[in-house]
Amino acid sequence: MHRDARRTLGGDPWFVTGAALALLLGLLVVAGPFFAVHDPHDMSFRPLSAPSTEHWLGTNDGGMDILSELLHGIRNTVVFGLVTGMIALVVGVLIGLVCAWFGGVTDHALMRFSDILLAVPSVMILILVAAFFRPSPLVLSLVLAGLSWPTTAKAIRAQALVVKKSVHVVAARQMGASGAYIITRHLMPELFPLYLIGFAAKARMAMFMEASLSFLGLFDPSRKSLGMMISYALKYYYLDIWWNWLIPPILCLTLLIMAVTFLAVSLEKVFDPRLKEAL
Amino acid sequence: MTIDQWSVTYRVNDHALLALDEVGLRLVPGSITALVGESGSGKTTLGKSLMGLLPEYAQVKGHIKLDEQEMAGASEEGWNAVRWSEVAMLFQNGPANLNPVHRVLDQVAEPLIQHGRRSKAEATAEAEKALARMKIDSSQARRFPHELSGGEIQRTLLAMTLIMDPGVLILDEPTGALDAITKAFVSRIILDTRDQGTAVLLITHDLDLARNMADNVAMLYLGQVMETLPAKDLLTNPLHPYTLALGRSYPSMETLRDLGGIRGDAFYRITHRHSEKNGGVRPHTHVIGTEPSHENGHLHPKGCLFQPRCTQSIGPCCEKAVQLQDVGSHRVRCLRGGIAMQLELMQVSKRYGDFTALGTTDMTLQAGEIFCLVGETGSGKTTLGMIAAGTLSPDQGNRMLEGRDMDRWIRQDYRSLAGKIGVVYQNPAEAVSHRLSVFDIVAEPLKIQKRFREKGEMRQRVLRALTDVHLSTDTSFLGRYPHELNMGALQRVCIARALVSGPSMVVADEPTSSLDPSVQAKVLKMILDLQIEKGLTVLFITHDLGVARKIGDRMGVMLAGRLVEVGPTVRVMGRPAHPYTGLLIAGARGETIAAVKPPGGSNSRGCPFADRCERAREICFSRFPEMGGVEETRHLVRCHFPMG
Amino acid sequence: MKHSQRNSRHRQYIVAYLLAALVMMYVSYSVPRWLPGDFVTAMYSSSHVTLNAEQEADLRAYYTQRQGFGRYLVDFFTLNWGYSYAFLTPISELIREALPWTLLLLGTAHLLSMVVGFLAGVEAAWRRGRVIEKAGVGSMTVLEGFPEIGTAVILLLVFALHLGWFPAAGGETAYVEQSFGRWALDVTHHLALPLLTLLLAYFPGNFLLTRGSMVMVLKEHFIETARAKGLPSLRIRYAHAARNALLPMVTRFGLRIAFMVTGALVVETIYAYPGLGTLLFNAIAMRDLPLIQGIVLLSSLMVLFVNLALEFVYGWIDPRVKHAS
Repeated sequence: MHRDARRTLGGDPWFVTGAALALLLGLLVVAGPFFAVHDPHDMSFRPLSAPSTEHWLGTNDGGMDILSELLHGIRNTVVFGLVTGMIALVVGVLIGLVCAWFGGVTDHALMRFSDILLAVPSVMILILVAAFFRPSPLVLSLVLAGLSWPTTAKAIRAQALVVKKSVHVVAARQMGASGAYIITRHLMPELFPLYLIGFAAKARMAMFMEASLSFLGLFDPSRKSLGMMISYALKYYYLDIWWNWLIPPILCLTLLIMAVTFLAVSLEKVFDPRLKEAL
Repeated sequence: MTIDQWSVTYRVNDHALLALDEVGLRLVPGSITALVGESGSGKTTLGKSLMGLLPEYAQVKGHIKLDEQEMAGASEEGWNAVRWSEVAMLFQNGPANLNPVHRVLDQVAEPLIQHGRRSKAEATAEAEKALARMKIDSSQARRFPHELSGGEIQRTLLAMTLIMDPGVLILDEPTGALDAITKAFVSRIILDTRDQGTAVLLITHDLDLARNMADNVAMLYLGQVMETLPAKDLLTNPLHPYTLALGRSYPSMETLRDLGGIRGDAFYRITHRHSEKNGGVRPHTHVIGTEPSHENGHLHPKGCLFQPRCTQSIGPCCEKAVQLQDVGSHRVRCLRGGIAMQLELMQVSKRYGDFTALGTTDMTLQAGEIFCLVGETGSGKTTLGMIAAGTLSPDQGNRMLEGRDMDRWIRQDYRSLAGKIGVVYQNPAEAVSHRLSVFDIVAEPLKIQKRFREKGEMRQRVLRALTDVHLSTDTSFLGRYPHELNMGALQRVCIARALVSGPSMVVADEPTSSLDPSVQAKVLKMILDLQIEKGLTVLFITHDLGVARKIGDRMGVMLAGRLVEVGPTVRVMGRPAHPYTGLLIAGARGETIAAVKPPGGSNSRGCPFADRCERAREICFSRFPEMGGVEETRHLVRCHFPMG
Repeated sequence: MKHSQRNSRHRQYIVAYLLAALVMMYVSYSVPRWLPGDFVTAMYSSSHVTLNAEQEADLRAYYTQRQGFGRYLVDFFTLNWGYSYAFLTPISELIREALPWTLLLLGTAHLLSMVVGFLAGVEAAWRRGRVIEKAGVGSMTVLEGFPEIGTAVILLLVFALHLGWFPAAGGETAYVEQSFGRWALDVTHHLALPLLTLLLAYFPGNFLLTRGSMVMVLKEHFIETARAKGLPSLRIRYAHAARNALLPMVTRFGLRIAFMVTGALVVETIYAYPGLGTLLFNAIAMRDLPLIQGIVLLSSLMVLFVNLALEFVYGWIDPRVKHAS
């Protein structure tokens, strides 16, 4: 089935587009800041100057080079998204597996706990924490991950329960396999598609959050971010500089989120057999 | 409803699958027609055709007439006008046919309301009554589908299907997963509906159901009708090899023989892409079987579709397209006109001086069947068997093997005839030369008949024969001598020898009588499997009724050199017509038999059993009875006063 | 389903959600106590707000006093939510002014996008395979990838700033006395762009989900049975299929609602729409912590309430639901 999947994915226009975009943006993330000729925090340039050969996108109201800001901002957003996605995924998978494997009281307790977390709007807590404590992005990432693992955990748990009952697991147990063996060799490979889908969804949400939170001004002002750029640029919408200051971060953000959305959509299409025919 | 030359082709991407091939059927009011087929036969497609529910990618050709109105090309509106009110269908999948969020009562009433026949109140009341008739009370009727049991759901579905009193009723596996009581209830309702004048089409793979409920049966295989026959003949008098083979495969209360399957496989898989050179797509039937010879397993609609799995196919079967022909009250699609006669013995007899070993006898063996010849010692069964095998010449009478006159064949080219018949003897130790090794024993027929030029090919054949009987092909085993083997293994070597030249008929004379019971069981089972795999016709001679019961399709009882009773095993054993057969069965069961006088001298005039028979009268002693039929034409008995 | 079973299920839901609400309020209550050291000075020193000594002392007291949780709850229910130092108004008043605007925007947006998205999804699934359906699915997937921020800014630039068709900010034209009819029109005029932004953001998700769910339902056996019964296609589409397709959409809505609120906040801010979003934004800019707390708590409770209502709705729609999830 996984061999089939690779072929199907390769031919799927959503996947191809998403992957292409992701690759491009990935390049920018990794190599970008090296191309930023100027230090984005450097405020010595003439503010609000139009694009020129020295400043490809001009400068903002504080005299900082927009292109450098942009490149750094993209990196920050992407890193935040990936880190949060990763942590949420790991926690979700762990808890999902634990619940499915041990069952009983552990399962019940953890599931009730995640129900409460689900009922609580994570966004609000995030805003609260960001507003009050002004923590570093890493801490916020941890908090967001800590609030969003329940959906992944539930999905993993549901699928793990199904696999646990499947005949090849029963057979392995009959042969004398230990719990660790079954989890690593039988369960985890089966859950692989869910990892991808879960990660893509969480990363997308995290990037969106980062943009929104920085837009609202909840991050450290010295941290470059797309959302923050948009928020500042918006104030000067009546000036002519909107097209080189406002549009680029919006464009980048949109492309970023679109790339992840496309990837998530095509992954779901290929790996979720129920949705296979739906899309 | 009349279906005429109906063909359905599914076109998906660049692939065209022929699901139904010029199928014709007539649904007559007041009768039940059964459509029997396995998965992939196209029966579901046919059912859906009759409701206009085929998907968009289905191409159709032919006619479907409902009361003279042509429905074949009808639009959705055209179909909607007759759906449920004129033609209604009870689908498979029980509970999945009900909408989980609507109440059961509403779903039964729905058609009446939506077709504008009744107001909501009237329809609901009528639905409630219909459900009550199905023994579902009004409080149950107001529940949701998931709250009802499987049996209740099936009865609900039946009520829903009949609510508009349609003229044509189509049932798709109506009693599949039901308990016995619900099954009986549903069957009763269906029969009542039939009696009220509805034309019923029963789609099923349950041969018992078809036989008990239907008036006529149509056998569907890979989209073609192979045979249409009256239901009563379904298990006892099939004329098409497929019908016979399916009957043998079905665990029915009507057959005694152990189950066999059908050799080869036929299943669909749409995995390939096709396109022809001119860009068109040719419809073909998908078969992926064990024979790789059909272009990656694709059959083209020329030649017989059943040929790869048929036990009696001949050359032309691969090339010529076959049509349905009338044979008696059946219609059969077979180039050979139905099940062919493998062996026909007509009026053969044999005397040794004064002693009549075999009186004038007729016997026929159908291709692909196991015929058990039963009788006491001296009854003449071995004589008859050897005449059938071609080793003994009868004094008079004709013999035909595969339609060829055997005597002429023997004169012209005995060896080729010998290659067509394999013989297994009673005592394996005596049947082989002790100087020959296992390999030599099995290879002997090939050597004698000079079948193969290269030694390599001969060796292949020998090894294959040994594998068929589950014996080792190690060089060490091949070099063994008979005295080093046990009886069971030795007999298996003999069977391998009988099979090595690829015969179409095997005569086995008490092959297991000198074996231990556990070994006997294994060998018998093996013979059965081989018979199915290779499509052999087997003449099995035995004195053991228990064995006959287990492996015979038909059996014949011999007494004093004459066949006194012949018929399907289930009939002969279940309702024996000849008193002698009754005696044999009672004896085999261990019942004490009233004083049996040992057979007297040959009473050349009257019935040989007369002096032992309880029912004997004057005429029994003076006149020898002729062969007469017992209800079924295939159950014959030679008695003045048959039992039953 | 037995009446008692259903009641106990309801009770379970209510209890669970009450618990969650209490947790939220407790967190809100105790957060200030976790704040490090003398942050008041640190915070407000870099803010635009200047506090006199008395206000500073009050604020510090507010955050360090050991006010009991019970007292806090009572205060909450009597709408005694404290005082905003940035706006110099009681918080409850600020919220009372902003809330209706937010409800108007969010409520309309969700309602419209759900209804239209649902209908479009149902009809699209019915015409599966045809060009219009494929185009619809393709374009909606692309649209789904567009973050609200993006759409909001683009719409603002194009329609408000360049073409001038719609106002760029506010909920109503300020300082003008109008009759009710004209006032309603004015409000709608101001509502148009933010509403459009949110519609564009919510519609694709609803559409795609409904369509996907419908496609799966249409494959079920009872749909073929319905067709065989000769029912008109409209009835099959809605009474039979759509009714079943509704269920996943309701679940997903509940899961996503919290996520959707952020987007709404951002949109409000961009359009300077006088709802809770803008209020929150300003509060953050002004470092007005009590106000932030109040808004966050209220929104969370609203989300919880909506989720609870959804649980009941789901139970009513699907008769198979037997126990609390």
